[in-house]
Amino acid sequence: MPVDMELEMVLRPPQIPMPPYPPKTITLANGKVMVIRQAVREDVPAILKSVHPCLFIERDYYDIVSARLYGELLAWYRYRVKSEYCLMGQVDGYLVGIVNGRLENEKVGMSYHTLAIDRGLRIGSHLFAAKMEYHMDYMGQDEVLIVAESPIGFRRWMIEYPLELTHIPHELGGGDSYRLTREIYLKAKQRLVVGDRPVSQALMDEAMLDIKFADDDTIRERIAGLKGR
Amino acid sequence: MKKEIAITAYKCKKCGKIHYPFHDRCLDCKGREFEKIKPEGNAKLLTFTTIFNLPWGFDQRYLVIGVVEFENKVKAMGQIKADSVDQLKIGMKVKPTWEPVRVQYGEDVYGLKFEPMK
Amino acid sequence: MRDVAIIGAGMIPFGRRDEDTLMDMLSYASLKALDDAGLGDKSVDAVYVANMGGGMLQHQSAIASSLVDRLSLLPAAAETIENGPASGASAVKNGLLAIASGYYDTILVVGGEKMREVTGWRATDFVATMTHPQAEYPYGITLPGMAGMFTRLYMEKYGVTREHLLAISLKNQEMGTLNPYAHVEMALDRGGIYDSPHAIVNNPVSADPLHLYDLCPVSDGAAALVLCTVEIAKKTGKPYVVIAGFGQATDTHTLAEREDPTDLKAVTLAAQQAFAMAKLKPSDVSVAELHDAFTILEIAESEHVGFFKKGEGGKAAVAGKTRLGGQIPINVSGGLKARGHPVGGTGVAQIVDIVWQLRHELPENRQVKNAEVGLTVNFGGFGNNVLCFILRRVQP
Ligand SMILES: CC(C)(COP(=O)(O)OP(=O)(O)OC[C@H]1O[C@@H](n2cnc3c(N)ncnc32)[C@H](O)[C@@H]1OP(=O)(O)O)[C@@H](O)C(=O)NCCC(=O)NCCS
Ligand SMILES: [Zn+2]
Repeated sequence: MPVDMELEMVLRPPQIPMPPYPPKTITLANGKVMVIRQAVREDVPAILKSVHPCLFIERDYYDIVSARLYGELLAWYRYRVKSEYCLMGQVDGYLVGIVNGRLENEKVGMSYHTLAIDRGLRIGSHLFAAKMEYHMDYMGQDEVLIVAESPIGFRRWMIEYPLELTHIPHELGGGDSYRLTREIYLKAKQRLVVGDRPVSQALMDEAMLDIKFADDDTIRERIAGLKGR
Repeated sequence: MKKEIAITAYKCKKCGKIHYPFHDRCLDCKGREFEKIKPEGNAKLLTFTTIFNLPWGFDQRYLVIGVVEFENKVKAMGQIKADSVDQLKIGMKVKPTWEPVRVQYGEDVYGLKFEPMK
Repeated sequence: MRDVAIIGAGMIPFGRRDEDTLMDMLSYASLKALDDAGLGDKSVDAVYVANMGGGMLQHQSAIASSLVDRLSLLPAAAETIENGPASGASAVKNGLLAIASGYYDTILVVGGEKMREVTGWRATDFVATMTHPQAEYPYGITLPGMAGMFTRLYMEKYGVTREHLLAISLKNQEMGTLNPYAHVEMALDRGGIYDSPHAIVNNPVSADPLHLYDLCPVSDGAAALVLCTVEIAKKTGKPYVVIAGFGQATDTHTLAEREDPTDLKAVTLAAQQAFAMAKLKPSDVSVAELHDAFTILEIAESEHVGFFKKGEGGKAAVAGKTRLGGQIPINVSGGLKARGHPVGGTGVAQIVDIVWQLRHELPENRQVKNAEVGLTVNFGGFGNNVLCFILRRVQP
């Protein structure tokens, strides 16, 4: 169906320009190297394929987090959201985790979701940290508003940073936002934000080549899996 | 207002062994009579740790906890008022206080806290 | 006292078993042990169920009565045994004594726990309820916290280093990858958890000087054994295992009241009793499962039971003496560190792993060659209630 571009121009919200997030690598507990890089709009369909199997996993609120992430990424792909970005983690080219967010305005960021597709490796912690790094160090924002949708998220963000509770409503609905301020970020940075730059050309090529994703069953097994009785 | 330290230790009337908490019989001689004593003076830090994975009921990121020995030999566990273990050393002097250590059912629960002394 | 044999052993994979209830897990493990024993539809005289948290976590009591009914073992005698994280070995001990006394002939012992039903905070709180309710618990102390304080002293007194602890984490998680029953099936990389600057996030401090990978995970799981008289075991015509010795000892409830907190008296005593009863010595042991809820415990226990002199355990681990093929292979299963630690189930699971070793039925990459004698230590509280078993292979 052809897109009515005239109407589109009315529907598409204005975008605040965002500087690029420089990719970095992190050595994980199992020795594998994860590349964290910024997704471009054209990556979205591939990313959605990895998010899809998570829609049906109730464990640890994967269903709600991935359903919302799915919608948000689609909204970005179809130009329905203001200044959204997505960072992703890849190991051997495989997509292992996704974080996204957007800019409320030049100074305030709105954190959306963190989805770890491989578990037990602190991938979520690393990606969330990269997201905060992007808002603070690369976009020069003053604060980021955050809510947690699962107990694990609450433990890893609200308690580990620790974030401060505000009375500002969060875009995801639900409760009041917690806030990462520049001061909190700078205090937490040396223990939570790690990574090596620049990324070698070889690793970058592998990551950019084609986002690889495991098949649905493997993804489900990784997140909720239990080898049979 | 400064509160008095509200723990009681028990000195065996037969052999003098000091117990905290209470036992019905002396751990050394089985004596059943004890003199109630209060922990006295400052204390010496015997060991400590920072706990990062706290149980339900604590909202903070971490808690420094240690075991001390008071000047009159009473030994007890308590929370340590320090931001990090880098400020602590086994054997250092700490000053005991009686302060809220947690909240239960909306009420403060009091207990031992120790402040490192220079 | 009559000799007591083990003719059945079974376990279900540990981990997060969201789909199974506590009763499901206990039943599955029991059926595996009963089938392994070849009991067919025959019943047992009694059932001992080890469980620490059913009352608190599942809001369920009288678990043994429920289990015999579910397994159609009525009217067998049944009871639940709660002895903290040493519940498993305690249940085995009760089974052993009941048969040794001549009263019962065949007994099912099963241990299990479902800890992942609640969040990490609640599970940590549940485990912390074994600390002293007035002198310890209110301060927010946890079992990892106890272990942290113990580690600090042990390091100071015996020169244990992070390097030593690391050797335990690496070895046990590596072995866990070979164990289909293990909760954590991921080998760790030294760079990722220690050398690299990224390790600060991958392997953060949990209760210093202990880090995340010095701790066992919180697990669901269950394991079971069938104990019987030697006469019954002989009739199977297959190699079986006898309980050659056991020991159990207790220590002060609070850590503060121990004269020397680095001295795990209950471990030493339990092991001494077990060796005396078995008429064996530490050098006779071919394989051991020690209670490594925290890496430091594997080192400390390996010294306290007499495999190594005090202060030598960590070095021995670094030198590979406790690996498969080494002087005394410890936690070939991956230990609590990788197999997981469903508190009430652990003591039984350790013995199941030793039974498999002594029957020589494990795949080559995990089998201790010609294993004849096995030892287990199940460590309750923070060392205030400890059981040690010595098992021996019998070839009919
Ligand atoms: C160490 C500890 C705090 C980690 O808790 P956590 O960070 O909330 O861990 P999560 O539940 O988020 O775990 C995520 C994954 O990390 C891995 N993991 C967690 N703890 C681990 C550990 N200790 N070692 C190795 N891997 C671990 C697992 O793969 C887990 O996946 P799962 O959900 O399939 O089990 C927790 O395991 C703990 O408290 N252990 C001590 C238990 C204890 O004290 N037992 C009693 C001793 S007597
Ligand atoms: Zn006395």
